[in-house]
Amino acid sequence: MAAALELDAVDKTFATGVQALAGASFAVQSREFVALLGPSGCGKSTVLRLVAGLDAPSRGAVRVAEASLSYVFQEPTLMPWADVFDNVWLPLRIGGLSRAEARARVATRLDAVGLTGFEHAFPAELSGGMKMRASIARALVTQPSLLLMDEPFGALDEITRGRLNDDLLSWWQANQLTVLFVTHSVLEAVYLSQRVLVMSARPGCVAAEIVIDAPYPRSPAWRTSVHYAQNARAVSEALEAASVDQVR
Amino acid sequence: MSIAARLRDYGLPLAAFVGVIALWEAVVRVNGIAQYILPAPSRVLSTLIENFGSLATAWWFTIKITFGALLLAAVGGVLLAAAFALSRTVERALFPFAIVLQVTPIVAIAPLILIYVDSTTAALLICAWIVAFFPILSNTVIGLRAADPNLRDLFHLYRATPWQRLRLLLVPSALPYFIAGLKISGGLALIGAVVAEFTAGAAGRETGLASRILEASFRTEIPKMYAALVLVSLTGVAIFLVFNVLSRWLLGRWHATERRDLE
Amino acid sequence: MKTIRWLSALMLTAVCSMSVAQTAPLQKVVFATNWKAQAAHGGFYQSLVDGTYRKFGLDVTIVPGGPQVNNRPLLPAGRIDFLMTGNLLHSFDNVKNGVPTIAVAAIFQKDPQSLIAHPGQGYEKFEALKNAPIALIAKDGQFSWWQWLKVQHGFRDEQLKPYNYNLGPFLANKKAVQQGYSVAEPIYVEKQGGFKPVVHLLADHGFSTYSTLIEARVGTVRDKPELVQRFVDASILGWVNYLYGNRKAANALMRKENPEMTEEELEASVALIRAQGVVDSGEALERGIGAMNRARIRDFYDKMVQAGLYNPGEVDLSKVVATQFVNRRVGIDLKERLAAK
Repeated sequence: MAAALELDAVDKTFATGVQALAGASFAVQSREFVALLGPSGCGKSTVLRLVAGLDAPSRGAVRVAEASLSYVFQEPTLMPWADVFDNVWLPLRIGGLSRAEARARVATRLDAVGLTGFEHAFPAELSGGMKMRASIARALVTQPSLLLMDEPFGALDEITRGRLNDDLLSWWQANQLTVLFVTHSVLEAVYLSQRVLVMSARPGCVAAEIVIDAPYPRSPAWRTSVHYAQNARAVSEALEAASVDQVR
Repeated sequence: MSIAARLRDYGLPLAAFVGVIALWEAVVRVNGIAQYILPAPSRVLSTLIENFGSLATAWWFTIKITFGALLLAAVGGVLLAAAFALSRTVERALFPFAIVLQVTPIVAIAPLILIYVDSTTAALLICAWIVAFFPILSNTVIGLRAADPNLRDLFHLYRATPWQRLRLLLVPSALPYFIAGLKISGGLALIGAVVAEFTAGAAGRETGLASRILEASFRTEIPKMYAALVLVSLTGVAIFLVFNVLSRWLLGRWHATERRDLE
Repeated sequence: MKTIRWLSALMLTAVCSMSVAQTAPLQKVVFATNWKAQAAHGGFYQSLVDGTYRKFGLDVTIVPGGPQVNNRPLLPAGRIDFLMTGNLLHSFDNVKNGVPTIAVAAIFQKDPQSLIAHPGQGYEKFEALKNAPIALIAKDGQFSWWQWLKVQHGFRDEQLKPYNYNLGPFLANKKAVQQGYSVAEPIYVEKQGGFKPVVHLLADHGFSTYSTLIEARVGTVRDKPELVQRFVDASILGWVNYLYGNRKAANALMRKENPEMTEEELEASVALIRAQGVVDSGEALERGIGAMNRARIRDFYDKMVQAGLYNPGEVDLSKVVATQFVNRRVGIDLKERLAAK
């Protein structure tokens, strides 16, 4: 299988002089669920933005083979003046679909994320978890093949986060997505992904790669197993090592 | 809304207002103050009713100038704000002029404008416009820039056209700021219209409340001055209420400034 | 012996009373005018500056008016003691509205209120003015004699444009007419515009009011008549001295109060005041400056009723003026002495 996306010795320096990435290289295969883990400021979000095309590398190449991608931000990033339906409809609307034409697809997506009945609610009236679900529904309504997620559950409480973790995994499987998931939580990275890419401190590069060898579907019960703990420990140690190594 | 909340919201200001009026009437009566020094509210009211015919025509003229100027200020302010938001160069070039317009006292400009402009009504409109224009411009510029950067990225990712971006992102983002500017400008337009007419004077048929006030002052008809002033105040209150309702209608469900459940 | 004793007693009393008069505190009086200092106010500034007011036991402060200033409400409110008003319409209005003020002297026998126009534009005849496309009239006039011009002489509101005491619009438009004092504006127009304007006095066409009247509160007239008399007399003498005597100091004071005024403008204005008989003409020649005649006031009122400014009987004419302070030939002999010099 050709790589769905690939970073090849990418450097990124911003106009402010900050060098976010130095020699970052990795590949993600089609339909993989890969987590990008690292300390604050290591350039994880920058990697995502480069993949999405919102920014360009200063050196090196970013290759994306997937046809369509969607981006989920840290904040739900919903339009506060529009209701849930209009928010989810937005990408289709920009693409030229009328409200009537998009109705079925939006309804299906909302159902998939569990927001049926909230079509006419406004974001201000929703809880944090529900807003994030709406954001994901919007991301999925275009039926992308690549899903980029930037610490989407960071602001939520543990129970909601747990539920969304499981829901995300089922959406991944159901829609045959490739997912690149940025997080700073070791536990979350281990629970969700097939591979964890550990980034070093700034300027960032991929310092280590840990394969999580556990079958899907993963259940909350697995979280308390020894296997999980071992994986988590391995990833933690890699993260420690990567964070210490700041000399470039 | 609960009864208590309604009482608090409407009852309290009304009670305070009635109280002040009653006090005023009492003070005048008890001290036997002459009507040409401080007329009692009852006198002002009777004068208002007696002269309602001529006062009403003047009132309508002032309202026309106020809302005409406000409309022009809104249109001009939004268009210019859009230009500023699109091009920093344009903004840097024109912003100093906008500031100059804002700080120059209308009392000084009004007679000058009257020299250059033939129609008195046009001159008054221009004066009121100058006063009302800046808050709308400045607030809308901020509003257009206030769009969530993540949403901006999303629109970029979805490959939205500039027109789509304007319609679906920038305009709704700017709306609360524009409304805030409009609320400020509403009152200012009224002040501008009245002050301009005061200093520049209006002529003959095209006269508003300021001319009535002046005329009453020159003819020592003090209760009539007060009656005209009452109408000016009523207009100001009406403008305030209208824009409050407008704001609630447009922003009610979603903007922090209008959400009642946050109280 | 007895004569000498009597004479010295008399002299002693005279000296004592004189010194008493000198050392008795002056009464403070505030007099508000209706414009910035100009020759048309000259007599008052004269008495201020040459000590006449002091001699009459008055410490007078003159408060000028101006384009944006309206001193009129200050009189009934008690903030000033005397007020200069431009015509009888103000007095009629006050009486009609129950405002307790009354006129006690009429310094101008003729109202210098005029309409001026460019020469050679067909405005040489008064009747042509009503067809002027633009008539620049200030707020005060708008609400008073303009109404009379509309009814009596066919002027229309469509012509009216607000006049802001700036000659610019008039000078720029040859077809425009504007208001002015016949003893003032023509001088400024000639200076700024380089031409002599056509001047039409409203007084020549039926606007027969007195002008530059001295108004006082009814209460002052009733309770302090000698104060009123002293102020009126001193003011009349001031006008005699200003018009016929040495007015340099008065002019200097007026120029200080109104820096835009020049000596030549003041002198030119005085010349016009004398030539046009604004102050010292008609009954004033016989009865002294400030003379007032009730019949003439009644006649003027009837004219204004005809013009629709008032309803018949709406104004109690007995309350408009108090004539007891004038018509006493004050200043006549002073004038003769000055003329003899």
